[in-house]
Amino acid sequence: MKVTIKINGKVQSVEIEPGEMLLETLRRLGYKGVKHACSTASCGACSVQIDGKPVLSCTTFTAAVDGHEVMTIEGFSDENSLSDIQKALIEEGGSQCGFCIPGLVVTSEALLRENPNPTRQEVIDYLKGNLCRCTGYESQTLAILKVAKERQSK
Amino acid sequence: MLNVKAYLKPDTVQSAYEMGQIPGSLYVSGGLMVAQLKISNVERIVDLKSVGLTHIEDHSDVFKIGANVKISDLISNPYLANLNGDLLKNSIKEIGSTQIRNMATLGGSIAFKLGWSDIITIFMILDSNLEIYDGEFSKISLQEYVKKSPKGVIITEIEVPKSGGIAVFEKFAKSNFDIATLNLGLKVVLDGQIVKDACVVVGSRPMVSQRIKEVEEFLIGKQLNGITKDACDLMERVVQVGSDIRASAEYRKALSRFLLDKALRRV
Amino acid sequence: MKTLIQEKLNVVNTSIEKVDGKALVRGKPVFTDDFDLPNTLTVKILRSPHAHAIIKSIDTSKAMIEGVACILTYKDVPHVIYTRAGQGYPEPSPYDTFVLDRKVRYVGDGVAIIAAENQSIAEKAMKLIKVDYEILPSILDYEHAMDKDAPIIHDELEISGAYDPKRNIAAHYEMEIGNVEEELKKCDYVVDETYHTPNQSHAMMEPHGAISYFDPNGRLTVISSTQVPFHARRIIKRIFGVNCRVIKPRIGGGFGGKQALHVEPYVVAVTLKTGKPAKCIYSREETMTASNTRHAMRFRARAGAMKDGTLVALELWGLSNTGAYGEHALTVFMVGGSKTLPLYNKVKAVKFGGDVVYSNTEPAGAFRGYGAPQGMFPIDSILDELAYKIGMDPIEFKLKNSIREGETSPIFKIMGEGREGVDQIINSCKIEECAVNGAKKFGWYEKRKRPRIDPERQIAHGYGVAFAMQGSSIPAIDMGGATIKMNDDGTFNLLVGATDLGTGSDTILAQIAAEVLHTKVEKIIVYSSDTDMTPFDKGAYASSTTYVSGNAVKKAAERMKVEILKAASEIMNKPTHTLELDEDSVVSEDGDTLSFGDLQTKLFYTFNQRQLEVTESFVSEVAPPPYLVSFAEVEIDLGSGKVRVVDFLNYVDCGVPINPVLAKGQVEGASAQGIGMALFEDHMMDKNGRLITDDFFNYKIPARGDIGSIKVRFARSYEPTGPFGAKSVSEIGLDTPGPAIANAIFDAVGIRMRKLPIKSEDLFFEIKKKGL
Ligand SMILES: Cc1cc2nc3c(=O)[nH]c(=O)nc-3n(C[C@H](O)[C@H](O)[C@H](O)COP(=O)(O)OP(=O)(O)OC[C@H]3O[C@@H](n4cnc5c(N)ncnc54)[C@H](O)[C@@H]3O)c2cc1C
Ligand code: FES
Ligand code: FES
Repeated sequence: MKVTIKINGKVQSVEIEPGEMLLETLRRLGYKGVKHACSTASCGACSVQIDGKPVLSCTTFTAAVDGHEVMTIEGFSDENSLSDIQKALIEEGGSQCGFCIPGLVVTSEALLRENPNPTRQEVIDYLKGNLCRCTGYESQTLAILKVAKERQSK
Repeated sequence: MLNVKAYLKPDTVQSAYEMGQIPGSLYVSGGLMVAQLKISNVERIVDLKSVGLTHIEDHSDVFKIGANVKISDLISNPYLANLNGDLLKNSIKEIGSTQIRNMATLGGSIAFKLGWSDIITIFMILDSNLEIYDGEFSKISLQEYVKKSPKGVIITEIEVPKSGGIAVFEKFAKSNFDIATLNLGLKVVLDGQIVKDACVVVGSRPMVSQRIKEVEEFLIGKQLNGITKDACDLMERVVQVGSDIRASAEYRKALSRFLLDKALRRV
Repeated sequence: MKTLIQEKLNVVNTSIEKVDGKALVRGKPVFTDDFDLPNTLTVKILRSPHAHAIIKSIDTSKAMIEGVACILTYKDVPHVIYTRAGQGYPEPSPYDTFVLDRKVRYVGDGVAIIAAENQSIAEKAMKLIKVDYEILPSILDYEHAMDKDAPIIHDELEISGAYDPKRNIAAHYEMEIGNVEEELKKCDYVVDETYHTPNQSHAMMEPHGAISYFDPNGRLTVISSTQVPFHARRIIKRIFGVNCRVIKPRIGGGFGGKQALHVEPYVVAVTLKTGKPAKCIYSREETMTASNTRHAMRFRARAGAMKDGTLVALELWGLSNTGAYGEHALTVFMVGGSKTLPLYNKVKAVKFGGDVVYSNTEPAGAFRGYGAPQGMFPIDSILDELAYKIGMDPIEFKLKNSIREGETSPIFKIMGEGREGVDQIINSCKIEECAVNGAKKFGWYEKRKRPRIDPERQIAHGYGVAFAMQGSSIPAIDMGGATIKMNDDGTFNLLVGATDLGTGSDTILAQIAAEVLHTKVEKIIVYSSDTDMTPFDKGAYASSTTYVSGNAVKKAAERMKVEILKAASEIMNKPTHTLELDEDSVVSEDGDTLSFGDLQTKLFYTFNQRQLEVTESFVSEVAPPPYLVSFAEVEIDLGSGKVRVVDFLNYVDCGVPINPVLAKGQVEGASAQGIGMALFEDHMMDKNGRLITDDFFNYKIPARGDIGSIKVRFARSYEPTGPFGAKSVSEIGLDTPGPAIANAIFDAVGIRMRKLPIKSEDLFFEIKKKGL
């Protein structure tokens, strides 16, 4: 079947299998930043935004996304510059192997849009579905709080 | 990927129901659970989201919530969120993760009758009724629905009565991002210090949520102060629980006491 | 963030950005699964549903449906025995594994390799393979592996290097210094207890995966998510008799799990058979059930001390579960003693030994800490128990008996990597600073004055401390090489075999080179872990990268400096001793400068033409241990037994941290995994030996919010044999959470939990028994 999806601002018409997951579609189209780590909705590595809301692409039917807008990690920075969240994650040591990071960035962008001035607990609650095995989470939480503060002071 | 032949998007509940009656069809709403199914006899997925049902209506004595409302949207209506002492506002964040709440629908969360569903426990304390469609629309209480498990029907709406009282939800889980080892809901309607009415629900026993009538009856007519220990003793005696990989029945009994104690302290 | 240093340094000891950091946070296609080659076959593995069985017959004829390229069974792959362990050669692990065998030894063992045009065809074909099994009795509980009537798991004729396979013993070790039995008799206090640690899963976010293909010149090439590319190349050659190139791209976490061959033989078998590129990426379920785990261990520990707090004798006698195959069996077990016992070097007698047994469970393997967490849990716990009996503060007791600078332990010499070790005098040991400053920072003495139980809230608080040491490399075995090449634009290529698994090793190696060469990290272009392009390196394990590979890079950079000065002296016509390196240039005493770019340009085109390039190797002679003292505060719900780690402070001596932010990240991450092992991560099998906890839904690694804050502080330390004073840092953090948390629980409620993970259910019933 054919679906039309706006991916990172670009409308694309894609031929898919009816039982295909968005994760498979996106990776096939070259959005390799969308990571596959579990398939059971339990890790957040595959997070993307649909119509601005973070969801898990491993358990989203592509057919259901027809006519909607998808944002992947590739849509959050360009070749020349990093987003403030990406920068802060590097500076605070919040990214080690980097495998969980795309999902984390995509989810954090939504967090700061919905709640520009979150408390530490709110950051933890919002991001609890994003597992990371390398860091102890602390550095990532600090990075997000730092960005929130920076954005506030702008 | 699910190996299916078609993904259908009906416009109306009626046509969805007709599609659903063909053998090999499966409804999907949020899709979280359907995506993970490891069964091979499904040929056709019938997406219920295309029929709408995303309303939250505030009527004089009830809230009517469309079955396709996402868990995260349940608190978008402040009146609903604040019902019975902020029950939904306080408890929704305990469910899954941000992403899961953005995907899972109210209907899907109930229809699957997961033993560990927090949603079923929460809506059972609220004495909710379901509107279902099986060729025609009818109403059934959530409690009845969970017991009967009617096959092939579509849940179209959840009706939450605006009853008074304060309700709280407690969840015990191993991890911050985990399903409940046991969950518990408590609602009390007070007349001064006297309990006029009570509703107690325990879920993830690991079987599906159940009202604990004995404890409810015990609470009614008593003063809230000073009955915690007796109520907890009774709970531990009467609650029906089982064992699975997350906990033994004996431990679940202890948890039912622990959570009831916490809940009673909160109301 | 900057810590104390003893040399004047420009780049080392600063927290510069990871050299691969930008690509990673952008989600660039840098991981194995991100590489798409045209016409690649998808490879799937049919796995055994039985814990122990013989394949009586296997029929693939019905499965050869359209789109299937090949299906390989044990009849179609070389019958060469090997070990999956990526270790120095000859490996101390038994050769007991085939790519596919007629016998399957755990639920998940490989039965057939299916290669097809795409995943759905491969999966469809998999279902059509008919296998007839003769089911054998199995051993699911390793504590019964040596029972009289236990089935023999490895009865193949080809097995070699296993201690006593007829009795399911993969490895055995014992040593004794002094006479523990006699010394214990003289002690005022003796504790004798048994401790268990679990077979934790690595749960790295990136599953195992590999791709193989013939390059345009017909060279077999393997892209693999591995920690040991050079060992992988050697083992592939052993199995298939072919030379190949192994490339390690970015890795989404390894933690020891990728210090073994998992997927490589499967894809190579397919490429050799079909000539086509083949890709196999494990599902989470396969990564959980069919790769490897930490060795579960049981230790009986005995320790004795005098009234004045002198520790006299210490013994660990253990049993370790290596699962179906014996990779890392002996060495992980030995590290349980060799990297823990020297910490308490003042004892009169010490004994360590036991067996490593086969069972019909997922194979065990290397896992961060490599046996030290398993050994440290009983050691630190039993010392805590002793301190309590004596009535001494555990910090005081552990400190009194631990090793100091200038001292040694006979164990360094006696216990090595599966063989004798190497003598060493400790040059750097700041354990006292770690304990004293850590206690102050944590508020140890004040907190321990507080009441532990709050009866109103039904909550208890407790405070625990644990000490640890580790090593830095495997002395006299681990070798790493580095090549540095100078370019005419003033940059340098740094080629290293070292394997960055997300740890940041590419970055710290660049920092070391930049420091020596007086340039910036941006000018050091790191290329790592490609067996055709980079010099050899043993791989990323044994906490050796900073120390061994770091020293190799330092040596290479120093030689490059000599080469630069020599060439500059010729060009500038000045004696070398009047020249120095400064900010990307050679400068002379009298103020002349020649930039690196100009220097190499002249050497390319006009002057005494040559390419400046050097290669150096480093073999460690010693393995200077890092030290760690960790403090845990726990909060326990008396009504449920749930334990929360509220605060976890690490005070670590890792020498000079080359990159403080990255070093801190290593300790923080290891603590989180240790907390997982202590409280969360639990494997459960059904009665047939199938793992039930085979995904992140049921196998719970700590999530955000499950851990209070983890803090890391560095002691002021300098290791003279390390590159710029550095020692290792990546493993040690895993050694302390288990004992620190168990000790804190004891402090809170007076209950000793001697089995990890500590489940709330178990603790709850203990609390109830005590009537708290
Ligand atoms: C990792 C993870 C963690 C979770 N944690 C929690 C938690 O902590 N607490 C909690 O309560 N839940 C939790 N859930 C469950 C989740 O909230 C949803 O309940 C679940 O995913 C189902 O919702 P869905 O809309 O995605 O249903 P779907 O997957 O679309 O459907 C589920 C089932 O219901 C049927 N169905 C769907 N809609 C209807 C309808 N309107 N009428 C009739 N039948 C219908 C489908 O045919 C299917 O059989 C978790 C789920 C996951 C994957
Ligand atoms: S891959 Fe989707 S949540 Fe893990
Ligand atoms: S950085 Fe490796 S999983 Fe998060």
